[in-house]
Amino acid sequence: MHEIGVRETINLCGLTFNIETLKMTWLAMAIVIIVACLATRNLKVVPQGWQIFVEMIIEWLHSQIDAMMGRRGRMLAPLIVGLFMFLLASNLIGLVPLMASPTNDLNTTLGLALMVVVIVHCLGLYFKRGHYIAHFFQPTPVFVIINMIEEIAKPITLAFRLFGNILAGEILIIVLLKLMPIWMPIPSVCWLAFSIFISCVQAVIFTMLSMAYLANAVREDHAEE
Amino acid sequence: MIEINATIIAQVLNFLILVVILRAVAYKPVARLLQQRSDKIKNSLEQAEADRKAAEQTLAQYKAQLSDAQQKAQAIVEKANLTARQEHDAAVAETRKEIERMKQTAQAEIESERNRAFEEMKSQIVTLSLAAAGKIVTKNLDTKENDKLVNDFISKLNKDMFADLK
Repeated sequence: MHEIGVRETINLCGLTFNIETLKMTWLAMAIVIIVACLATRNLKVVPQGWQIFVEMIIEWLHSQIDAMMGRRGRMLAPLIVGLFMFLLASNLIGLVPLMASPTNDLNTTLGLALMVVVIVHCLGLYFKRGHYIAHFFQPTPVFVIINMIEEIAKPITLAFRLFGNILAGEILIIVLLKLMPIWMPIPSVCWLAFSIFISCVQAVIFTMLSMAYLANAVREDHAEE
Repeated sequence: MIEINATIIAQVLNFLILVVILRAVAYKPVARLLQQRSDKIKNSLEQAEADRKAAEQTLAQYKAQLSDAQQKAQAIVEKANLTARQEHDAAVAETRKEIERMKQTAQAEIESERNRAFEEMKSQIVTLSLAAAGKIVTKNLDTKENDKLVNDFISKLNKDMFADLK
């Protein structure tokens, strides 16, 4: 992001695209895929080195999914692990000078949040059918208004939380670099370290909340039996 | 700064492509490997359990065989002891019989020897008596008293000695 608030755009078939966001997204995707390939090549039955780390993450994820979603959740594991890795990579590349996070663009975060919500509703309808629609009208039909607000709020909060955190982090880095003289790097370094922490935390939060929403739709509950 | 445009669709598509690639490249091999490993561990545990059971069975078998062998050995020893005692008793009895028999033989021999000695002695006594008598006779042939003595002696000798011997 070279100038705050200004985005380079291109027009393709009458559609407008933020080209920098797209480039950074592809970069983040490439990083994720390369890391995943490096970590998972040479898999052995007796683990060694990186494999132990990768297995630890996947085992932890599986245990989380099993606890939150039950046995149907396993099919969502690649989505969730992909979401986490992509968000982590996206958040972190924005901290490299001359680069921007794909997640500092509301198009990315809102896109992902809407995708999660659409998946939640589709899976809910697929697994629970009538019960899924009925649960919006519980305990009394009047509650449908509150439930609708909640459902609309879900993607908006997901998207804006991530977008705001990442964009604020990048803006403040630029502001601090402009404010402080070059011999006084301490505030910038502190903020950079804090941004690294925030990047990780926001990736975790987005992923965990997505898991919680998906769990609602996928988990077997008593009403179903 | 906040404008929604077609990028949103592109980002969703990008992410879905990423998920598909990740699933194929990274997630599936790892998940398959984890499954393989848990299967292998399960198999190993089952195998170990089966091995342990087999070992226990073999041990029980061996123990049974050992106790059986010990019983057999005990029986053999007892039988041998019994046989030895019987043989010993038989030998003792045999020896006793033998001793008895030898004693009898010896007694019989002693008896016959004694008889023979007595016969010999008797004949010698007779001879000596005759000689003595002859001497007395030659000295006091005329004496009636002497005759009577000799006669008495001989008759007594005959009566007593032979009666004792017979």
